[in-house]
Amino acid sequence: MTHTKRFPYLFIAPAVILFCIFTVYPIISSFILSFQEMEGGQYVFAGLENYKRLLNDSIFWTALKNTFLIFIIQVPIMIILAMVLASTLNSQLLKLKGFFRVSFFLPAVTSLVAYSILFKIMLQEEGLFNNLFMMVGMDPIPWLSDPFWAKASIIMAMTWRWTGYNMVIFLAALQNISEDLYEAASLDGAGKIRKFFYITVPQLKPVILFAAILSTIGTLQLFDEPYNLTEGGPADSTMTLGLYIYQSGFEYFEFGYASAIAYTVVIIVAILSFIQFKVAGDDK
Amino acid sequence: MSTKINTFKRTVQSLQIRGQQTKKASTPKAKFKALWMYLLLVVFLIISVFPFYWMFVGATNDSSKMFTNPPTLSFGSEFMTNLTNLNESIGIARVMFNSIFVSVLYVVIALAVCTSAAYVLAKFEFKGRKFIFTAFLLSMMIPYQATLIPLFRMMSDLNLLNTYFAIIAPQLCFPFAIFLMRQNFLAFPSELLESARLDGASEFRIFMSVVVPSMKPALAATSIFLFMTQWNNFMWPLVVLNENSMYTFPVALSSLMGLSYIDYGQVMMGVTLATVPIIVFFLALQRHFISGMLGSALK
Amino acid sequence: MKKLFGMIIFVAFVLVLGACSSDSSGEGDSGESDSGKEELTAWAWNINVPVLEMAAEKFEEENPDFKLNVVEMGTSDVYSKLTTGLQAGGKGLPDIVLVEDDRFQGYINTFPDAFANLSEMGFDEQKSKFPDYKTELLTKDGAMYGFPFDGGPTGVFYRRDIFNEAGVTPEDIKTWDDFIEAGKTIKDKTGKDMIGLDLNGDDGLYRMMLTQQGTFYFDDEGEVNLASDESKKAMEITKELKDAGIVKNTVGWDPWISAMTEGDVATAPSGAWLYGSITQQGKDTSGKWGVFKLPAFEEGGNRASNLGGSNYVIMSASDQKEKAYDFMEYFSTTNEVQVEAMEGGLFPSLNTVYDNEIFKQEVEFFDNQKIWEMFAGEMENIPAVNYTGDYAVAKDEAVKAQSKIVNGTPIEEALENAVKTLKNRTQ
Repeated sequence: MTHTKRFPYLFIAPAVILFCIFTVYPIISSFILSFQEMEGGQYVFAGLENYKRLLNDSIFWTALKNTFLIFIIQVPIMIILAMVLASTLNSQLLKLKGFFRVSFFLPAVTSLVAYSILFKIMLQEEGLFNNLFMMVGMDPIPWLSDPFWAKASIIMAMTWRWTGYNMVIFLAALQNISEDLYEAASLDGAGKIRKFFYITVPQLKPVILFAAILSTIGTLQLFDEPYNLTEGGPADSTMTLGLYIYQSGFEYFEFGYASAIAYTVVIIVAILSFIQFKVAGDDK
Repeated sequence: MSTKINTFKRTVQSLQIRGQQTKKASTPKAKFKALWMYLLLVVFLIISVFPFYWMFVGATNDSSKMFTNPPTLSFGSEFMTNLTNLNESIGIARVMFNSIFVSVLYVVIALAVCTSAAYVLAKFEFKGRKFIFTAFLLSMMIPYQATLIPLFRMMSDLNLLNTYFAIIAPQLCFPFAIFLMRQNFLAFPSELLESARLDGASEFRIFMSVVVPSMKPALAATSIFLFMTQWNNFMWPLVVLNENSMYTFPVALSSLMGLSYIDYGQVMMGVTLATVPIIVFFLALQRHFISGMLGSALK
Repeated sequence: MKKLFGMIIFVAFVLVLGACSSDSSGEGDSGESDSGKEELTAWAWNINVPVLEMAAEKFEEENPDFKLNVVEMGTSDVYSKLTTGLQAGGKGLPDIVLVEDDRFQGYINTFPDAFANLSEMGFDEQKSKFPDYKTELLTKDGAMYGFPFDGGPTGVFYRRDIFNEAGVTPEDIKTWDDFIEAGKTIKDKTGKDMIGLDLNGDDGLYRMMLTQQGTFYFDDEGEVNLASDESKKAMEITKELKDAGIVKNTVGWDPWISAMTEGDVATAPSGAWLYGSITQQGKDTSGKWGVFKLPAFEEGGNRASNLGGSNYVIMSASDQKEKAYDFMEYFSTTNEVQVEAMEGGLFPSLNTVYDNEIFKQEVEFFDNQKIWEMFAGEMENIPAVNYTGDYAVAKDEAVKAQSKIVNGTPIEEALENAVKTLKNRTQ
């Protein structure tokens, strides 16, 4: 019996040991760094200086605002799109589902280098997108040089990259909803939309939550797209927290300050995830 | 006991198969509906696949064809030239070996570490369980840039810089994989464990011969996540590797990015080659993948 | 299944242990090579690698105990690794690193003890062989910390075909006002834009114009100088270009280059190194190119400026500083090596090399113009400017100010604001 009691500890030990060495230690170390400043090549204790500076740093607030704006707009668009695609692909009227499924997943594995170069070319003022727009008689759009459209470009690029990935998750969940539920609802005379809201959505809730939290973490650490497409511009309109952390550390050499930003972000994400759990009514 | 396991397996299989079923669209209304659906799917298909296609085009054309106006959209004849040049620049075989070796090694070890942790987190009551699980989840929220320097300092102190171990070590305990596996284990019927215990099997034996075999789909799904994570890992390998012969694909390809000289023929050939193994891996495991995610949906 | 699982774990651990023990000895900095020679390590990016390797081979002939291992990486990757190593207290660093002009002061000011003092090692004797702007850039508190390598003397690269079609002669473009007028003519006659600029993302033209006038983001004392008369003049030209409707907004490097090679814009003011990019990306445009000196702000004014360029530094953590110094001194001051660099597409800043015939030759790609002679003649006249350790932050603010100005904010207001924010960020 003692063997059985020891078993869970033995089994979780490798993970916990690795976690302590390679995650907890660096986290504590960089948390301490967030109270330090570089002076003459050495780190010295600076108290709450970095955090105080954060409060008065307009770039930080801009980055926070941008990140939230992108988060609030991008995540719902992507999740709805992923659900539409997933339920379409779940239809029994269709063939070639495996082919479509793999194809939609491709953006998630396409090289970042290739796709950021391509998006940049297509989004130029005389690029492919504007050429198409002008063909149908619309005005060209300053995709990367206007604060509003630059954000839109980032959102488009992110949606392109991650929709298929989320669709695969939803598809898996949809296939798990019992057909009986729908049939019973049909017998009760429920329409398509009612069925969607009374059966599909509640059944998908845990998965939506799962995808939403993953996207929350992903968006709040958003770095790849602004770094590759806009470098945070024009005039900080696409500056994100992830990009600002990177710049503070690697371009301005202020890792203490970068850490302070990082831990502020962590607190924000933790609160947001907590809210998401609460809203979804799931205490697990 | 074995019948129960078989029932569970059968449920999993039937769920797998159901996704593949197709009804014949017989009525005109259904045909019309199917047409619209195909239209929607094809539009998204083009959007999804186009950059991928363009990457292949770039790999077969000269660098100067990358930015022509109108854009070059047909395959060129520079495939061999780009391949040869790329091989001269980075040594494709060596880089491919490094990448595959590191990724496979990582998947194997991380899968073992994360699966066993997830199992006890899902199926056992013990002191500190909640605390450990919460700590795992919270750590997912920390941006990697913040922990890069301390981690690097540690690797250097341990004299592990420029080793394969240094590349994979920090992410062997991968919280997301633990989370994913835990969700799957939660769906595993506890009665099966109980009856196995009554049969006198040791906990380790139960895990190996009862639990793991029925978790293949979840393991496949988690493997894909782990493989993708390691395959695309860039910043960390870059800082710990100090020799060209140790480079993995993302690092080697980044070394092609000079100041004003970038041979895009080579770059596109490189990213194409780097994408192939990941697609092969996905194709090989995706059937399992679909139903593995399903487990996590069940909770 | 159990056996398989066990096997996998076993194999995995053997592999890990094997990987650890076999590779930890081959650590990057100053490990022993097979032949027992002590090996030096250098970090550099693409076209610099063959030049460095060639020089190392030659040097090895005279110094048999010398061996150099060049690790090739992307330009930004060099900085990521260098910064990480320095932040971690000087760990995992090589002996020799290549650093660009505009990054140098940032590193030397943030990590003052990390780089070897070359003046102490005797480099001051070689100082006169390099232009002042380079040696001043590499000096901190009277001592030199870097070996000057390639430079970026500027010129306006232009398309002869577009200029001919519009009937514009480059010799007539002497001032920036002439440049704008010529741009308008070209737009009228050919419909093409005069210049491609990333108005919201980069300030290369502005920086060239500041250097040309002998100032920069900061003045010689290191005070923020974004609102100087020179700065205002430079912004005015940028705004006039934009208002005249002769700017094609190209976001990022590749679209900018391709606008040139595709013949969508007529000119590109840039450093001499642009030659490499144009010849590579525009293979079938040979003979259609020309280059003339940067226009002056008033007739007879200075037309020499600089954009880009790089230098080698020795890390003070290296235990083979002397050997590294001997090699780098040889590398920087030997004509033969620098000619090789020139042939590889890097414009040397060593002035003893300019007598070589390669600088007198006619360049076919540029319709047999003697472009290298022009660039070489410029080197001595490039004004030295003060980058300071806050270059990166200052650039960020300058780009934002430029973006605001071309979008309608009055120049005075945008620059004053930038000064205020920059002072805040650098205090």
